[in-house]
Amino acid sequence: MIQVKDLKKNFTSHVKEPGLKGSIKSLFSRETRTKEALKSVNLEIQQGEIIGLIGANGAGKTTLIKILAGIVHPTSGEASVMGFVPWERSNEYRRQMALIMGQKNQVWWDLPALDSFILLKEIYQIPDAQYKYNVEFLAETLMVKDQLKTQVRKLSLGERMKIELMAALLHNPKVIFLDEPTIGLDISAQKAVRVFLRQYQKEFKPITILTSHYMEDIKELCPRIVIIKEGEFVYDGSLKNVQRMMGDEKVLSVTTQEKTFKVNVPRMELAKKTHQIFEENEVLDLNIHDPSIEDIIESIMRSGVTPT
Amino acid sequence: MKWWKHVAALELRKILAYRSDFWVTFLGQILIQILVARAFWQMIYDSQGVTTMKGYTLEMMNLNYLIIPIGTRILTGENIGFLAREVYDGTFTRYLLYPLSVFQYKTITYLTYSMFYVFQLILIYCLFRTFISSSPFMLADVGNLISGVLFFFVAAAVYGMMAILIEMISLWADNIWSLAVMLRFFVSFFGGGFIPLTFLPAWAQETLLWTPFPYLISLPVRTIMGLSNFAEVSKGVLILFIWILFFWGVVKMMLKKGSIDIRVLEYETLPKTLCLFPAFFVL
Repeated sequence: MIQVKDLKKNFTSHVKEPGLKGSIKSLFSRETRTKEALKSVNLEIQQGEIIGLIGANGAGKTTLIKILAGIVHPTSGEASVMGFVPWERSNEYRRQMALIMGQKNQVWWDLPALDSFILLKEIYQIPDAQYKYNVEFLAETLMVKDQLKTQVRKLSLGERMKIELMAALLHNPKVIFLDEPTIGLDISAQKAVRVFLRQYQKEFKPITILTSHYMEDIKELCPRIVIIKEGEFVYDGSLKNVQRMMGDEKVLSVTTQEKTFKVNVPRMELAKKTHQIFEENEVLDLNIHDPSIEDIIESIMRSGVTPT
Repeated sequence: MKWWKHVAALELRKILAYRSDFWVTFLGQILIQILVARAFWQMIYDSQGVTTMKGYTLEMMNLNYLIIPIGTRILTGENIGFLAREVYDGTFTRYLLYPLSVFQYKTITYLTYSMFYVFQLILIYCLFRTFISSSPFMLADVGNLISGVLFFFVAAAVYGMMAILIEMISLWADNIWSLAVMLRFFVSFFGGGFIPLTFLPAWAQETLLWTPFPYLISLPVRTIMGLSNFAEVSKGVLILFIWILFFWGVVKMMLKKGSIDIRVLEYETLPKTLCLFPAFFVL
């Protein structure tokens, strides 16, 4: 179980004025700026649950994940993951946790994946039988059996991501943090990773926190989502609920001679608004449909409106 | 097998991963360094018209510069940027996730490289003694070679900690390259890597005896050449152990602070940490 209470994280960075003058000035005095990456967030996740953490770039998703993985210390607040305080980095906790970052490599590039796996087996003290089963199971499910003896740097992006997933899951972690695991992958590789994650979740039931900018990942894997905006949670609930809450709205997609635009309209005002659009524009095409989950989440992230 | 043996094996596999790079590093660089030093000193001895300079004959000087390039490699292990590179590209986080000590892990990788260069030194020694009868290596016997190599290993532990201190500044600062190069320069110059220490003024030689520098390169090289006695070696090892304890304490403290603040741009903790080793910078 994960419990987070009033967790805050501030980052301090230096501000440098542009140009040569700014560069010279920064040699002697520098201005600092503090950014609140997380503003007192609270969260509770049960064993076996998988949640999607959604937010714009810089919203605080990765910071939260890094704190829960024990890489970054919070400025204040409490967190407990299966009874451990993550940033104390006890070996017992680290043996049960995995962090996969789509943009960072954890396996050694210059060597075949199997070489890295053998080292991980010793580091995590994985028994021989479990190691053999896991390598077999993961390689087969992720379809990378033939790539295990190839130098990692020579693999495609999708294959490398699958190898990263294998490396992170070899020790059967009970808590998994997935930070944009499908970033940069083509559609079929994204799909393969999603299928694998669903299957893994079903078989091993870990707590999983997933961040992704691809809504397909969220829709397929996460029954519960948390939307984070500028360091604050603006929504924590089921994905279905978000769609239901916006159920009394329709979206008008309009194409005119000059532009294409979308308008969210309450169902009761649909006829009136459509009439108005036809009167004001030379309409080439008009579609009426339900708002997509992407539109709803984007609207929440933009307006900060918390659905009730 | 224990995890550290696997770490060592993994590092060895990394060294052997690229064939051409391996041969260039293993033989090419060393041969060039040796040839340049040999031609340089030959020229100096000839132009001065002397057979001995500050206690070194030309043959001894040649042996000195045969050992120094490989000895320096044993000393410097994985080389500049071995930790900073990983901090900057983000792969350092892997060590924070593993259920083991980052410090132990990096020490093992460092010493694995040193071990590899020991093998290189022994191989070159054997080749020279077997095939080049006029080689300066004929001046060094096997006993002295073993003592010198062991001494280099103790020295590598001290240098490794000094290097880790510099490398760990990368947990806060955006570039540590110039600091790392400065360390290499100081060690080479005051350690006798550029010129033998007997060429320095007497007061400088005496002052250096209390620092780790002469024991990092000069004394191990002199041990291999059979120019040092038991008392000198014992004193050198003792002083190195004192420096090991000092640097070990500072490294542990920095690592604790650094891994708390890792890459989070909290620069305010850096001055406090730097205050811990002013002696290092004064030296």
